[in-house]
Amino acid sequence: MKSTNKRFITCPFCSLHCDDIEVEINSNKIKVLSEPIKNCTKKIEYFNISDKSNLKPFYKNKSLNYREAIIKSRTLLDKSQDITIVNHGTDVNGVRSILNFATHHNCTVDHINSKYLFKNLGIVQRKGYMATSLTEARNRCDVFLLFGKSILKKSPRLIDKVIFPEQSLCVKPKEKKLILIGEFDKKTIDILAKNYFVRNIKIKINDIPQLMELIQSKSIGKNDNIKAISNIISESKYLVASWSSSDLDVYENADDVISSISDFILMRNKENRAACMPISGSLADATSSQTMTWLTGYPSRVKFDGSKFIHDRNICDSEFIVENNHTDIVMHISTVGLEKIKLNKKVKNIVIGHPNTTYSSKPDIFIPVGIPGIDHKSILFRTDNVVSLSLDKIRCLNLPSVKNIINDLLMVQD
Amino acid sequence: MNIKLESATVYDPINKISNLKKDIYISDGKIVNRLQIKGKINKVINCRGKIVMPGAIDMHTHIGGGKVNIARMMLGEFHNEESLDSDSTAIMAPTTIKTGIKYIKMGYTSCFEPALLPINARQAHSEMADIPFIDKGGYALLGNDDFFLELLKKNASQSAINDYVAFTLHATQCIGIKVVNPGGINAFKFNQRALDVDEKSNFYDVTPRDIIKKLTRAIYELGVPHPLHVHCSNLGIPGNFLSTIETIKAAESLPIHLTHIQFQSYGNNGDKRFSSAAPEISNYLNKTKNLTCDVGQIMFGQTVTMSGDSMSQYKNHKHAHPNKWMCMDIECDAGCGVVPFKYDNKSFVNALQWAIGLEIFLLAKDPWKVFLTTDHPNGAPFTSYPHLIKLLMNRSFRNEMFLQLPKEAQEHSILKSIKREYTLDEICIMTRSAPARILGLKNKGSLGYGCDADITIYDKKRKDYEDFFANPAIVMKNGEIIVMNGKIKKYTWGKTQTIKPEYDRSIEKSLKKFFEKYHTMKLENYKISNDEMENLIGSEIIVNKCNGKRK
Ligand code: SF4
Ligand SMILES: [Zn+2]
Repeated sequence: MKSTNKRFITCPFCSLHCDDIEVEINSNKIKVLSEPIKNCTKKIEYFNISDKSNLKPFYKNKSLNYREAIIKSRTLLDKSQDITIVNHGTDVNGVRSILNFATHHNCTVDHINSKYLFKNLGIVQRKGYMATSLTEARNRCDVFLLFGKSILKKSPRLIDKVIFPEQSLCVKPKEKKLILIGEFDKKTIDILAKNYFVRNIKIKINDIPQLMELIQSKSIGKNDNIKAISNIISESKYLVASWSSSDLDVYENADDVISSISDFILMRNKENRAACMPISGSLADATSSQTMTWLTGYPSRVKFDGSKFIHDRNICDSEFIVENNHTDIVMHISTVGLEKIKLNKKVKNIVIGHPNTTYSSKPDIFIPVGIPGIDHKSILFRTDNVVSLSLDKIRCLNLPSVKNIINDLLMVQD
Repeated sequence: MNIKLESATVYDPINKISNLKKDIYISDGKIVNRLQIKGKINKVINCRGKIVMPGAIDMHTHIGGGKVNIARMMLGEFHNEESLDSDSTAIMAPTTIKTGIKYIKMGYTSCFEPALLPINARQAHSEMADIPFIDKGGYALLGNDDFFLELLKKNASQSAINDYVAFTLHATQCIGIKVVNPGGINAFKFNQRALDVDEKSNFYDVTPRDIIKKLTRAIYELGVPHPLHVHCSNLGIPGNFLSTIETIKAAESLPIHLTHIQFQSYGNNGDKRFSSAAPEISNYLNKTKNLTCDVGQIMFGQTVTMSGDSMSQYKNHKHAHPNKWMCMDIECDAGCGVVPFKYDNKSFVNALQWAIGLEIFLLAKDPWKVFLTTDHPNGAPFTSYPHLIKLLMNRSFRNEMFLQLPKEAQEHSILKSIKREYTLDEICIMTRSAPARILGLKNKGSLGYGCDADITIYDKKRKDYEDFFANPAIVMKNGEIIVMNGKIKKYTWGKTQTIKPEYDRSIEKSLKKFFEKYHTMKLENYKISNDEMENLIGSEIIVNKCNGKRK
């Protein structure tokens, strides 16, 4: 690999997986050239190596070489009756190997964002659902409903890639309309409103079901803003509704909120076209749920019982297991996350994490792992679940992948 | 490793062998002439009292990709099957591992996913790479994608279309091209709710007939062995046999394959406005040289329907059982719909569907032109094949089943009067030889020298044909014994069968532009390289031979 080069990369750091990010790589340091995506730049460059990065495994306070770390981990794991694996984001091959390991050691496997996944999945498992994907929304959507509050901060490129692209097949970009519903901050709205047609309904998230009912009933009363927006919606030819369930999950009734949006979309389809397009979390959530589903039949929260995977949303809830010490060792796997990993000091913790991983307390063992699409080739699923991208290797730090580490854990003879 | 199958009773229609006692020799995974064997025979398998056939090939079964995963997720409550040899997922939406186990135990050694959305190819191949034992392949969906419809609208030359088709085969690592409800999935995105063969789509001004015509020609001219694989317009609609015949005519005598033709053979006679048009369709099949089909037989019970045909699946959601469903518009590429469904033998319509499928099987004269499928899982899970074979081979059993149907359905079917019973030879043709031939798999479906030693060995002692086909004594894949007396002996991983016709790469320039303007990913990332197949997705590929360019 050349020590300096400019190239496009596919970004592994949120579920949009933009593949048009131009970067310059200089001695393994990534500099984002594409503008204007400030939040994204920060995110991507966060993963650059600094003095604080951990490029070496450690056990307690001692640093180890890789092989020692594998042997040490395996020894700890072999002592356990009840291994829990928490996925904080890894690629398809990472999930495949986690499940392979789980079948050999009867582990419980969960993804840290499962609770959000189950909110969206709840609809598909209970009633009808009409969905769409990013390119479809970009080219066909004339009215875009965005619910929540911080979705645009988490997936900033939603705006230029999907909602207001420069070019669109069937709708003139200038004719596209965005309607924000929820608790979006004024600054975001003002910035958008400068360039685009944007309307806003400021409303508490748990009042969304009532609002949807009102719009559907068409007897809105005096509220001129809602009336005008309701008219825009009823004239739409291809309406798209989008949300991030982590945004909606702050209230008790997140299920009802999502249901009410989905039901509204279904109702629209009787006469017109409309579809939902939820945005999943930034920790390779879709990659985990897709891969787990084809290999176990369930999108998350499974336990291998000696002959097959069983699924129980409550029993296999890793947050609950870890908090209540229902396990003796937890293996945390984190390759794309920024957030601190919460560890329970009362149980043993192995963290297989990217070099800049942070944790609430020091784990027993840490093994640095490569970032998919940065340190090794990989496949990741996008938020709409139908598209997966193949990511390249762009720097050379000799970091193993999750697949390498888990294979070594399985193979090692102590 | 050299193996001898001794004194086998062999059925091998491609080589015109039927019910012949002979020995078969295998060396390094291939079938060979005895004289080609170097060294000694390492293993002799006594095949006295056994019937030996090539491994079976399922040429149309939904085993991987987004819609299968949606079904798996949607139907969690059905994942409670008791099964000693695999996990508990429901057989209508099994895991990849279970898919492989169930197929290999039935003597199937190659399976083809017929609805691989190009944009979803990476997922479909990743899933299929996780199916053990069998070889697999996919048919890429075209004909509803905006790029193609724009080509038609702009009256692009046939050669540009050929290049695009060939590009798609390369980029998606597929072995064939399928069109689902030509133009209809796309029209549904513009809120059209139906599209007949000669009806224009509002936005592109293109008819299903135009699409079929261009695509069948492209495939013929490129020399792709498998004809255009067509899921017709008007699926499931009473009276649709007429548009089915129009679709065949649209191919203008070039090869065309109609899939799950049972769902396309409905009349609208009688007081229920639903009747069998199996005689009309079979007649047409018998006299039309360029036409092949698979049946898509239904069986009674719970299953799930999954299809790229979002237009018709949206309509069908009213019949969802249990009452949940999902449809999706996908990436200016195609769509999908997943609707659980229960075929009820007390229902007039379902009973007649069952009879229509069997009528087609039995009225179609040439087993080389009609293939045994249930369109897994749309008509029924693939594990019902042995039962289906028994229905075809045993008239009295068939009639016994028929008499359990509602009287009014019986009155609408000629099934009882059909005397034909399929022979072992014919079953072997429709499940092995013919699919291999129509897919251009030179090394499959045959026990000829040089072919892959994918072999199924059945036990003559099992007199009941359902039992016989469900429980082969031995199944071999590439010369290795995988199944012995119903037990898995070894885990192996099959390969992906592909085809890569030559084409003019300049088509990629306009595609690149199209992607840059409208897509949310780059063209480069849409393509799946051979290296990616092997090293990331996890399946080796086999590139099959094209027939060479034709005009
Ligand atoms: S929107 Fe998400 S995927 Fe795209 S560049 Fe920003 S962080 Fe990366
Ligand atoms: Zn099908």
